[in-house]
Amino acid sequence: MREPVLTWCVPLELLCSHPLPVSAFLKTQVKLYTYRACAGKDEMGKMVSVINTVDTSHEDMIHDAQMDYYGTRLATCSSDRSVKIFDVRNGGQILIADLRGHEGPVWQVAWAHPMYGNILASCSYDRKVIIWREENGTWEKSHEHAGHDSSVNSVCWAPQDYGLILACGSSDGAISLLTYTGEGQWEVKKINNAHTIGCNAVSWAPAVVPGSLIDQPSGQKPNYIKRFASGGCDNLIKLWKEEEDGQWKEEQKLEAHSDWVRDVAWAPSIGLPTSTIASCSQDGRVFIWTCDDVSSNTWSPKLLHKFNDVVWHVSWSITANILAVSGGDNKVTLWKESVDGQWVCISDVNKGQGSVSASVTEGQQNEQ
Amino acid sequence: MKLKEVDRTAMQAWSPAQNHPIYLATGTSAQQLDATFSTNASLEIFELDLSDPSLDMKSCATFSSSHRYHKLIWGPYKMDSKGDVSGVLIAGGENGNIILYDPSKIIAGDKEVVIAQNDKHTGPVRALDVNIFQTNLVASGANESEIYIWDLNNFATPMTPGAKTQPPEDISCIAWNRQVQHILASASPSGRATVWDLRKNEPIIKVSDHSNRMHCSGLAWHPDVATQMVLASEDDRLPVIQMWDLRFASSPLRVLENHARGILAIAWSMADPELLLSCGKDAKILCSNPNTGEVLYELPTNTQWCFDIQWCPRNPAVLSAASFDGRISVYSIMGGSTDGLRQKQVDKLSSSFGNLDPFGTGQPLPPLQIPQQTAQHSIVLPLKKPPKWIRRPVGASFSFGGKLVTFENVRMPSHQGAEQQQQQHHVFISQVVTEKEFLSRSDQLQQAVQSQGFISYCQKKIDASQTEFEKNVWSFLKVNFEDDSRGKYLELLGYRKEDLGKKHIKEEKEESEFLPSSGGTFNISVSGDIDGLITQALLTGNFESAVDLCLHDNRMADAIILAIAGGQELLARTQKKYFAKSQSKITRLITAVVMKNWKEIVESCDLKNWREALAAVLTYAKPDEFSALCDLLGTRLENEGDSLLQTQACLCYICAGNVEKLVACWTKAQDGSHPLSLQDLIEKVVILRKAVQLTQAMDTSTVGVLLAAKMSQYANLLAAQGSIAAALAFLPDNTNQPNIMQLRDRLCRAQGEPVAGHESPKIPYEEQQLPKGRPGPVAGHHQMPRVQTQQYYPHVRIAPTVTTWSNKTPTALPSHPPAACASDTQGENPPPPGFIMHGNVNPNAAGQLPTSPGHMHTQVPPYPQPQPYQPAQPYPFGTGGSAMYRPQQPVAPPTSNAYPNTPYISSASSYTGQSQLYAAQHQASSPTSSPATSFPPPPSSGASFQHGGPGAPPSSSAYALPPGTTGPQNGWNDPPALNRVPKKKKMPENFMPPVPITSPIMNPLGDPQSQMLQQQPSAPVPLSSQSSFPQPHLPGGQHFHGIQQPLGQTGMPPSFSKPNIEGAPGAPIGNTFQHVQSLPTKKITKKPIPDEHLILKTTFEDLIQRCLSSATDPQTKRKLDDASKRLEFLYDKLREQTLSPTITSGLHNIARSIETRNYSEGLTMHTHIVSTSNFSETSAFMPVLKVVLTQANKLGV
Repeated sequence: MREPVLTWCVPLELLCSHPLPVSAFLKTQVKLYTYRACAGKDEMGKMVSVINTVDTSHEDMIHDAQMDYYGTRLATCSSDRSVKIFDVRNGGQILIADLRGHEGPVWQVAWAHPMYGNILASCSYDRKVIIWREENGTWEKSHEHAGHDSSVNSVCWAPQDYGLILACGSSDGAISLLTYTGEGQWEVKKINNAHTIGCNAVSWAPAVVPGSLIDQPSGQKPNYIKRFASGGCDNLIKLWKEEEDGQWKEEQKLEAHSDWVRDVAWAPSIGLPTSTIASCSQDGRVFIWTCDDVSSNTWSPKLLHKFNDVVWHVSWSITANILAVSGGDNKVTLWKESVDGQWVCISDVNKGQGSVSASVTEGQQNEQ
Repeated sequence: MKLKEVDRTAMQAWSPAQNHPIYLATGTSAQQLDATFSTNASLEIFELDLSDPSLDMKSCATFSSSHRYHKLIWGPYKMDSKGDVSGVLIAGGENGNIILYDPSKIIAGDKEVVIAQNDKHTGPVRALDVNIFQTNLVASGANESEIYIWDLNNFATPMTPGAKTQPPEDISCIAWNRQVQHILASASPSGRATVWDLRKNEPIIKVSDHSNRMHCSGLAWHPDVATQMVLASEDDRLPVIQMWDLRFASSPLRVLENHARGILAIAWSMADPELLLSCGKDAKILCSNPNTGEVLYELPTNTQWCFDIQWCPRNPAVLSAASFDGRISVYSIMGGSTDGLRQKQVDKLSSSFGNLDPFGTGQPLPPLQIPQQTAQHSIVLPLKKPPKWIRRPVGASFSFGGKLVTFENVRMPSHQGAEQQQQQHHVFISQVVTEKEFLSRSDQLQQAVQSQGFISYCQKKIDASQTEFEKNVWSFLKVNFEDDSRGKYLELLGYRKEDLGKKHIKEEKEESEFLPSSGGTFNISVSGDIDGLITQALLTGNFESAVDLCLHDNRMADAIILAIAGGQELLARTQKKYFAKSQSKITRLITAVVMKNWKEIVESCDLKNWREALAAVLTYAKPDEFSALCDLLGTRLENEGDSLLQTQACLCYICAGNVEKLVACWTKAQDGSHPLSLQDLIEKVVILRKAVQLTQAMDTSTVGVLLAAKMSQYANLLAAQGSIAAALAFLPDNTNQPNIMQLRDRLCRAQGEPVAGHESPKIPYEEQQLPKGRPGPVAGHHQMPRVQTQQYYPHVRIAPTVTTWSNKTPTALPSHPPAACASDTQGENPPPPGFIMHGNVNPNAAGQLPTSPGHMHTQVPPYPQPQPYQPAQPYPFGTGGSAMYRPQQPVAPPTSNAYPNTPYISSASSYTGQSQLYAAQHQASSPTSSPATSFPPPPSSGASFQHGGPGAPPSSSAYALPPGTTGPQNGWNDPPALNRVPKKKKMPENFMPPVPITSPIMNPLGDPQSQMLQQQPSAPVPLSSQSSFPQPHLPGGQHFHGIQQPLGQTGMPPSFSKPNIEGAPGAPIGNTFQHVQSLPTKKITKKPIPDEHLILKTTFEDLIQRCLSSATDPQTKRKLDDASKRLEFLYDKLREQTLSPTITSGLHNIARSIETRNYSEGLTMHTHIVSTSNFSETSAFMPVLKVVLTQANKLGV
């Protein structure tokens, strides 16, 4: 891929006017590799079809886009410091709200369960977490949490069974937990130094105690233990558990990544006794962690794939059988566990919106 | 924020980006002595372990060196992709030497760590850089304008980039271009920078600002833009950083003047070109954006100067700085609080006193309180602008319904503004479909259900079956839809009636050949032997003795024959004795056949003979006990059999029509996690449910826990594939299972149903339950609040107003299925409401019992309606919480004589009558309140359930809606509380009994309910629905929901879910058998139908007859037969005159339309009646009537 130095020749003048750095060429080839890493191209596009393209009119990079519980509203956030909410029913897009209040790029948004009303949390580089709420059709800032000393990178609502609890992970290394106590009041608990030089992601464990659908006698009050996972710049995934005294304690360290853990996603419970967590990292690796018995707390990692670029985001489908992996090369791939326990790429999400440059297509043809 | 520090006066080099873990190499600095004035030198390697919160760096290796260093770099040369420690450490020494070390050997403690050494330079080597494209190329710079290019593959002979610059000068910095691999730049303290083109082997450009004050201490190429570089000056008179673009080399592009004194070092972040570090003699470490000049960050440092600064190549937020006070510090530029760190130091201090437990007491030291005065300084703010590496450029998140939301920010190849404008900020919503086969099979199933083409569907399944068992299951299922299902079952089990008949005849023939000819005369002996005694007994007509004698003499045949003559009683006794004596193999079978004791067979047969047992049951069992027996057999197979037999239990359950057990059994045997295996199960379940509906004329819409779980899992899968409408169709219609109701709501909303009351999130579930396309409220018809919301708001508390309305809605029975969604696809299903038994425990009602004087009935809790009439009734009608129900209350004035003011003082027996009165009263607009004998306890209890029961619904509605509002009330209609009514239809076919209500437990009908009712007050177990919703720690519920309930109460009705489940018709887990057995009830004489209504009966019966005569399909015939039976309910109601005038007049209208053969008009009227009438009043017969009308219409009779 890399040309030897002797054959290399581009006049300086050309070099100076050439907008495309050499590394860009290398990068396109990297993309090729990703293409071939994925199974049957024929399947592509059949499995995934764009049904709605929302022009957000954000003025800068979008950093997150999340649908609400019903899949009818879309919240987006951007480096332009705004949070927007769209009604996207029936393939349409109606801007419901353009929320201003952050003073820096907004990294993530998270919808609360609708049983608590229409509530959206957002976190930003401005070190703040804002909880927005719709009242009488109008979205307004309901609460502002300024308890972090650095960028707040991730917000995640606890399962609705616990009440309104928001976990926030920050670059100051701390994780804070906001619990709504009524009357507009939020109680804050903070885990200091959870991840040295920064926590990048938080994700709650599902409320259903694994296996409870199968063996729990009905009528018995379920014994929920609140847990969540976090990933940080110390390359670690940590599992946290609420003790009986209400304090949060580090329960487990999961070590496999060799660089920043960019995202963690605890899979939704589908009634099986196994707990599953997906993690992705700056090192390009995506791991699937499974634990058959939460009490024994032995987690075993399985490498889903090693990508050639940062992997920014992992997201489980509602039925927890498909994992969407978003890589730094602007590529989204879908993965599914095969019968023999191997993770297979089942689809490349290619929006066909010009994201794949012509050179890639050419390169592909050349390869074939 | 400072992360780590090492006390060394040293040059530093980070391990290359590929390396993991991250190492920092330090080499004793040649420039100054440290505090010890030691002249020893060493090369050390430390590991950066961020998971260790202490400030210490872990030392990995120390190598004593004879050299001191001016420059140290770590190149990734020959580094393998695994990222093991490797590469090469390149050091620039004092005496013109360049030394290559092998870091892996240093770490390994090897003595021979030097790879190579070359002394070609004449002076100290201050500048070194590795080519990032060809890591074997290293450039070095020293005094006298010496620049060499070293090829690590051929280290002995360096190259030069061109002729030495004149005049000779020291080379202080050297740097390879970051974009073009043959471009190199060098700079010297004298102020000039030279750019070399290795291809041309000469300097191509010289950069100088003519001020002569630029004493270059730093040089760095732009990470992205090939033609840009910065130069830093250490001259205090010109402490600037100049940014140059080679295309405009006459003057600097930009000058950064942020330092007050000379700059000693700079470092440009490879991860974000907008971050340039610089440290100077003003003791500052700054991070600026070289593209704008803005200072983004100032590191908190002490007052010491830093002479070297480096970004960590792997961790973009980390940098290290070496200061003259003999320390290398590692910082993060992401800010953060150092509190935690300080705490850790304190902890560490404590731990040096014996691991927090100096005296082994088991008690850790008490935590040290840290003085707070430094709090202000402990917070270090992050960069003013977010670094590039935390700006997430891409994302994909799943959402409900198999949707995938993706966005991307197309990377600009460069940072030129013009292209950025083209950047579009789109978000894509995609549908993900991964289970095509699953979807198509689900589709087929749905089509089969809609078209009622069950037989062909089953046949297809049989044909496609892979295994014998699968084939069997589908064959059994298919039989359900055919004539003579029992006979077919027998055939499937391998028993053909005809075959048997043939065999039998053959045997008979054989036997007859041996029959001795009878005839001639015989003499009657009365001798003393047995014969004689028998004769005597016979002669005296003493059959009993005769039989005894015969038995005694083992003359069984004689005994039996005599016993037959001796009458039933004797025969029975004789049979018993015979069986007691006889021990042959088939005795027990014969016993069972004769005694009609099938339970015996089923319970005690060898499980290997399950087929035979099932065959026997199929042949002999009465319809009413049939399914229970099949059930029992299945249960035995499941519990006692081996794995093979366990699966066979499924067949028994299919015969029994027991959906719930089929599910349980199937689930046990199969791995249900795969969508297709779930599809396998659901296909069977759906078909079986349909079969049960058809054959047993029973409403199967109520589902048990397991089935509900499976169905919702199925619906979830469908939804996950985007088939939301299908998911809704398969979701059980009416169940109070919270997960199902939530899913239903979610599906409805996901479908994009217009959501009214969008702004009232407190009652998010009410809209979808609004009935659609129905006329506005008609007098006498109103809808009940739903219970669902209660599950949805588990933390809601029971409103004190509950009791006030409990009497108010007897008429508010829903007359249509609550499913306003796409769930109505199940054809002519009778509306599947019913009542929910759980609701009947109104905690308030129960709580108030003591206030009801003389109240002695255990079953009172189910009848909370009298409470409003208690004097203690806190809310008079029309005020307070009750107000909101007023509009729904047509028969509101409870002045009815049916309600004596103190009804409950009376004894148990009088209670019976009263409850019937209540029952009558519940027949909303019934003019006469005569007891509804034809439909005794169920209606009354049913009715009572609706108000009492809920407990929750009223409460939820009470606070979900602010008192006094009238708007959203409709939302609370259709309580699932009524869901159970239809199941009653099954039993009362010939069931008239005014069973004593005083003993509800003995009452076969009221059985499940009343048992349940009774246990409830006494055994308040948390209800299961609640279990999934523990009281959230959420007083905030108030805030967000407008809940006005006191928070103190636990507020949930005592458990009802369990009995509820058991009472479900689909899931008679424990009590079915008993239930069925107790069915036979003696008939009572019926009153005549009033003359004016007789016409209804004749018309309807006539119509059915006509249909029957023209119908050819056995299924239809069966349906019609069944319909004619079930219409008895109607006739009974007519006899009792319990139907409201609107209904009777509506029925007359239908009858008239039947006479004119205008069936569609009849159907319209039917719909009208159903939609405007009280459900419990009409549920028993209206659906049947619809079936008849539909059939008539279809057949055109």
